[in-house]
Amino acid sequence: MNSSFSSPLYAKRRRRNVITMALSYAATGFGLSWLVVILGVLLWEGFSGLSLAVFTEMTPPPGSAGGLLNPIAGSLVMTVIAVLVGTPLGMLAGTYMAEYGRYDKLTTVVRFINDILLSAPSIVIGLFIYEIMVAQMGHFSGWAGAVSLAVIVVPVVVRTTEDMLILVPDTLREAAASIGLPRSLMIRRVAYRAARAGMVTGVLLAVARISGETAPLLFTALNNQFWSLNLNAPVSSLPVVIFQFALSPYKDWQKLAWTGALIITLAVLALSIVARILAAQRKTS
Amino acid sequence: MLSTGRRPVVDVALRGAGISAVDHVDRAKVLQRLRLGDAVFRHLTRAAALVVLVILGGIIVSLVWGSLPALRTFGVSFLYEEVWNPVTEKFGAIAPIYGTVVTSFIAMLIAVPVGLFIALFLTELCPMWLRRPIGIAIELLAGIPSIIYGIWGLFVFAPFLQQYVQPFLIAVFGEIPVLSILFAGPPYGIGIFTAGLILAIMVLPFITSISRDVFEAVPPVLKEAAYGLGCTTWEVARYVVLPYTRVGVIGGVMLGLGRALGETMAVTFVIGNAHRISGSLLAPGTTISATIANEFTEAVGDLYTSALIALGLILFVITFIVLAIARLMLLRLNARVGG
Amino acid sequence: MSVATVTVPTVAHAPGNAEDLTEKISIRNLDFYYGDHRALKDISVPLYQGKVTAFIGPSGCGKSTLLRVLNRMYDLYPNQRATGHVRLDNDDILSPSQDLNLLRAKVGMVFQKPTPFPMTIFENIAFGIRLYERLPKTELEDRVKQALERAALWEEVKDKLGANGLSLSGGQQQRLCIARTVAVRPEVILFDEPCSALDPISTAKIEELIDELKDDYTIAIVTHNMQQAARVSDFTAFMYLGDLVEFDETTRIFTTPNDRRTQDYITGRFG
Repeated sequence: MNSSFSSPLYAKRRRRNVITMALSYAATGFGLSWLVVILGVLLWEGFSGLSLAVFTEMTPPPGSAGGLLNPIAGSLVMTVIAVLVGTPLGMLAGTYMAEYGRYDKLTTVVRFINDILLSAPSIVIGLFIYEIMVAQMGHFSGWAGAVSLAVIVVPVVVRTTEDMLILVPDTLREAAASIGLPRSLMIRRVAYRAARAGMVTGVLLAVARISGETAPLLFTALNNQFWSLNLNAPVSSLPVVIFQFALSPYKDWQKLAWTGALIITLAVLALSIVARILAAQRKTS
Repeated sequence: MLSTGRRPVVDVALRGAGISAVDHVDRAKVLQRLRLGDAVFRHLTRAAALVVLVILGGIIVSLVWGSLPALRTFGVSFLYEEVWNPVTEKFGAIAPIYGTVVTSFIAMLIAVPVGLFIALFLTELCPMWLRRPIGIAIELLAGIPSIIYGIWGLFVFAPFLQQYVQPFLIAVFGEIPVLSILFAGPPYGIGIFTAGLILAIMVLPFITSISRDVFEAVPPVLKEAAYGLGCTTWEVARYVVLPYTRVGVIGGVMLGLGRALGETMAVTFVIGNAHRISGSLLAPGTTISATIANEFTEAVGDLYTSALIALGLILFVITFIVLAIARLMLLRLNARVGG
Repeated sequence: MSVATVTVPTVAHAPGNAEDLTEKISIRNLDFYYGDHRALKDISVPLYQGKVTAFIGPSGCGKSTLLRVLNRMYDLYPNQRATGHVRLDNDDILSPSQDLNLLRAKVGMVFQKPTPFPMTIFENIAFGIRLYERLPKTELEDRVKQALERAALWEEVKDKLGANGLSLSGGQQQRLCIARTVAVRPEVILFDEPCSALDPISTAKIEELIDELKDDYTIAIVTHNMQQAARVSDFTAFMYLGDLVEFDETTRIFTTPNDRRTQDYITGRFG
């Protein structure tokens, strides 16, 4: 029988263990409680302002009732364009890195740079697009906003495409090659198909990411009080409107800001859930 | 050789005919035709990969180009002057830089230990059925757009801090020499400290999930060996898991730091937008991204705009360095694990 | 000292055997390198048309490597190269101007692990056919049926052609892969340990198939199962550590091998 069970050293070790385990529990509780608090407040404040009018009326001047129709529309349009532009670009780049260029130097560099772009401050992206589009064109525009969102989409899609394609087993590629399939067809018809669920998940994640992005839109698409789908001019977007309304002293505007925040959060959550379901399906197939 | 009877082959046409010369010519033609498309696709993908590099190059070039007027006017003094006067057109970046660094520091100070402990909980203590739900909850927290943190911070958290926490801190630290300066009143509610706390909550899920992933990758045999010697859970964590995952954890921490440095919306709402460095953490201040977000659209004059872009350049350089180090560390980790 | 021949190993015809042996693939002085490591050393061996040639030997002897030279599969990876002469009929396979896709259409391969494409059973087969020919629907369906019959799979899947290829059992998947290979009408079929992932019943079915297929195709099979080599092949090549130690008619190799090492391997002394 080990006598160290009763020694003071053992007691100290036990005590330390108990303390740190307690800290772990506490930390988890601490972390989770923030989630509860934030979501709780969001739901409370956001829901109380939620009504049909939110989806049918324009943003109002201060002191009047209104809705969020134009920012929602603006956000949708710019998001769709960003995805349409960024996804093919990202997929092609990811394809090069996983297929043609899997072992070459360019891929190593691109992967490194891409990972940095993935976490780069989005406000810097906004400045970049400002310089090359807004300053050149002489005015703010929805196009600039969409492009800045696209620049955020690209690294996400590149990463997931490369990761998913690398997961496709080489034996599948060899099987395709063995019937004489040219490389590009092998990629498009076999590899993409095998990686499809993962790549779709990547796109959904990218959309979830840009749905809440405010900073890049602040000085590219700016904001627009009125209904406008003219992408050549400033376009309203949900995050920017929330920004403007929340910082204002007007109660109506602040209420709309909460509602808008709720809408964005629900959209992001829905996208994440769908992405997760797809990922789970992939695992079981 | 098999002695079983041969099965009748149904398709006589396949015999011999498949090996005729005609098919070969046709096939060659088909493959020739496909070759062009094949090459085009290959070049397309290569070009797309290059675009990623172009984007980065474009960012750097455009930021440098835009900052030139300001950098030429102020030179190196831009980095340490506190003045920020759009009227006299004198700009110095030290206040935003200070704010960026300090808020991120506060955030990491809180988020890293908490995140590591949560990761420890998830990998060692948490019952199996609870792991996925909590993991999902963490991801939810990570997925909440930063502007939500911002308005929550402005309307809920800051008032709460102002009412209850900050007076408490001011009172508690009032007599202690150094800390009394750090936590001097008045309780604004908003300020550097608040912004740091909110950043901490934002970065926490990130650190947690990366740490958890890295902890889970520790080979069970290693842990079992330690447990087998009679180590407590904490000792296993401290002497086996943490050293083994050190590089990955540091990489994750630096990624979190990179995020914190560049975060805009969560901070802008609660930082107070004061272009000065105060002794007290409870005072308002500003960060680089908050300054740009608040002032860019109203900036008149090329010098003002240029100064803001110069701020952006500084931020980009700082985050680039941090993220590059993080990626390099994670690369080393992958190399070691053979991934 | 290796008995690896620089000249083509001649095979003494059994008395009364008037068969003409044509060399479908001729391999001469083949070296293969993984980076700086020489994995195949000066290999010379013939693959006769309409015959099954088995490659046996312990792990790492290079038999799979050799097979993968024949359809230039190694080209997909960097740092792997082959030198020497390998001819399919009169085409130099190793030449840089060789159209790889065309080569692979002529020289099909069945892999160790069954790898159906992530498509329906029908699509798995039709995919390869469609690559080269524009066929009307009925003709395409006929071709798919023929290929599946050829692979002895038709009866089992004829009612579920729309099911995913991955829903089949291991043995069925492998036969699907054989059907897929056959559908493209190759001249040579390479089998790389096709049965090592399968149960004995599936293995027996596939060995039967190989016996039938050899009427129309030239077949090379790599196997670590000597009994399988003895059952299935007409000629056998024994390889050891990158050398071709011995090549002869199967019956001769397994009864009266020339080389001591062949003898040792066959009697289970090593490997």
